[in-house]
Amino acid sequence: MSVQQNSSPKVVLVGNPNVGKSVVFNALTGAYTTVSNYPGTSVEVSRGHCVIADQRYEILDTPGMYSMMPITEEERVARRILLNEDPHAVIHVIDARNIERMLPMTLQLIEAGLPVILVVNILDEAKRLGMQIDLELLQKNLGIPVIGAVMKRKTGLDELRQAVADYASVPYTPFVYAADLEEDIDGLIKLIHGDYRLSRRATAILLMQKDDDIVQLLEKQESAGDYESLLAAAREISFRRRSDLHLQISLERRKVCKRMLTDVVTQEVNETEPFAEKLSRWMMNPITGTPILLLVVYFGLYKFVGGFGAGTMVDFLEGNIFENYINPPVISFAEKNLSANWLFELLVGEYGLWTLGIRYAVALVLPIVGTFFLVFSLLEDTGYFPRLALLVDRMFKLIGLSGRAVIPMILGFGCDTMATLVTRTLETKRERVIATMLLALVIPCSAQLGVILGLLSAEPRALLVWTVFLLLVFIVIGSLAARVLPGESPVFYMEIPPLRLPQLRNVAVKTLTRMQSYFVEILPLFLFASVVLWAGKMTGTLEQVINVVAPVVKAIGLPIEASTAFVFGFFRRDFGAAGLYDLQTSGLLNVAQLTVAAVTLTLFVPCVAQFLVMIKERGIKTALIIFAFVTVMAFSSGWFLNKILMTTGWLA
Amino acid sequence: MICGFCHRQIEIKIGALEDGSACGSCFGGCRKVHCPHCGYANPAPGKLLARFLQLKKGNDSD
Repeated sequence: MSVQQNSSPKVVLVGNPNVGKSVVFNALTGAYTTVSNYPGTSVEVSRGHCVIADQRYEILDTPGMYSMMPITEEERVARRILLNEDPHAVIHVIDARNIERMLPMTLQLIEAGLPVILVVNILDEAKRLGMQIDLELLQKNLGIPVIGAVMKRKTGLDELRQAVADYASVPYTPFVYAADLEEDIDGLIKLIHGDYRLSRRATAILLMQKDDDIVQLLEKQESAGDYESLLAAAREISFRRRSDLHLQISLERRKVCKRMLTDVVTQEVNETEPFAEKLSRWMMNPITGTPILLLVVYFGLYKFVGGFGAGTMVDFLEGNIFENYINPPVISFAEKNLSANWLFELLVGEYGLWTLGIRYAVALVLPIVGTFFLVFSLLEDTGYFPRLALLVDRMFKLIGLSGRAVIPMILGFGCDTMATLVTRTLETKRERVIATMLLALVIPCSAQLGVILGLLSAEPRALLVWTVFLLLVFIVIGSLAARVLPGESPVFYMEIPPLRLPQLRNVAVKTLTRMQSYFVEILPLFLFASVVLWAGKMTGTLEQVINVVAPVVKAIGLPIEASTAFVFGFFRRDFGAAGLYDLQTSGLLNVAQLTVAAVTLTLFVPCVAQFLVMIKERGIKTALIIFAFVTVMAFSSGWFLNKILMTTGWLA
Repeated sequence: MICGFCHRQIEIKIGALEDGSACGSCFGGCRKVHCPHCGYANPAPGKLLARFLQLKKGNDSD
């Protein structure tokens, strides 16, 4: 019995989780199946049999997998089955509703030289959503059998059985990627001499991605010399492409998928379309998506972060708890017990560790970033951000960017430093430089945004001027940069995940995680900045620095005391914003001055950490040019806005 | 974990760029997991929070 089973040709089922793979398995095998752990793992694999045209086949149902490059243990097992079982046919089951999202794995399976049959399942649901899929054209484009199915009703089962019986492997034509990537793949293919279950092309790509199983396989099959040469070549490629290798391969596959699906999928507007689908479409359509975006900004940022976070929460923590209950006993204790003036100043003086560092971090910045991260995590969990990316794609093209740049721009509203690092995921150097510059110039970080929204929310006209002015700077400078910097605008597309209701647990975990990371990062920096400012005050250096900044500050119509906020801003954007908060609450600024200060501080130089990351990512020369440009631009804009406000009398 | 941008499953791995799941380039102990599919930076829970979540998960599954 066992001999007969082992000699049966094997048919392996693969696919993402929840695509109906097990339904296909049950439909093929009937009731008699066995479930056992894959050797050496705790991952379960189902096996069964079926007879087609007098031939007995062994059917294996593998754990869900997203790609040939395994990330989880389940994916690793599924890939091992493909590598070790020598299948007669590999049935890739996909969900018709998410065909664009799932087709990249089909490409990988074909590219691996496996005998693939594609089952486009859940066609009934896709049709209900108004999707029409031309399966014949898809079969022609892919060069493999494609079966349309509704397996829960066994529709397509006979065609699938026939395809398994008739399967005859034919050599495939490789899908072509970008020239530079092809060059690297070819270089590795030339060094591979052994015979492998996967094609040499797939083996080379997986080796570039440092796939452990593939490395072990090569070690066994290649001679010692060839193996060393291969590893050295792969290491060199991996190092050279260390920042974007996975992403580039993924993007190239998506491009191929887009080509394969041209004219294959058509979407009809369905009257019975679910509300989530309708809302999803509205979010991406410029006519309906822009008002939705404005609503999100108004309620999420203006009312919640600006009004509640920077207003109510800060008033409570800073104005009530710290002012009335914490600071008086701390200062009183210091007055009684600290005789040395320098120590008193260091701890509870004007720039003291407690009165400035701790107070700014805990009472000013934390409630603001907390409320911001709550809104951010809520939007993130619904799946709004990829829709926003598609919405702004057209506008971003005017400034030399694509919708993909929404990722660093959105992250920039959390922290510009981390967002600058993420610009490495953009496709072209031109895009990376423009995004880095716009992040340094126009995008305020969460605390800065919260403080400014909180301060300006009492004066809606000032908030309007601030918003319009920054938008103008963003568009004008972006457009100019797109004209000055040579290169083409990249094409952007992405699969849109389903829109969903936010999960309370996810939102809470993400918010707490972000708040924790942020607090742990800023507290030592705020304390350090306090010590530097204290040392500057004690030695007189701070006064000298303020004297240098003062003429520029005066030129933009601000009182000399505002210089400190700009000096604070050198350390961190949020530190500068907190300085602005102190200025305003001290009654030193009128509405026009507050608006000018808010605009100038938003545009003002990136903080130390962001500047260091700019050097790391773009090089010292580009970073210095951006730094100098942003400084000049910030004060020129402040001066220009002040002149306009003075001349016109707006906000008087 | 699920990537916050493209909603694909990714593995939480903090550290230097070995498998592309995290870049580890930020100074000061970066706790961001970069999605290998879209490049989005996802926050990974700190040790304390992770331990609490693990505990909660264990209780849930019982």
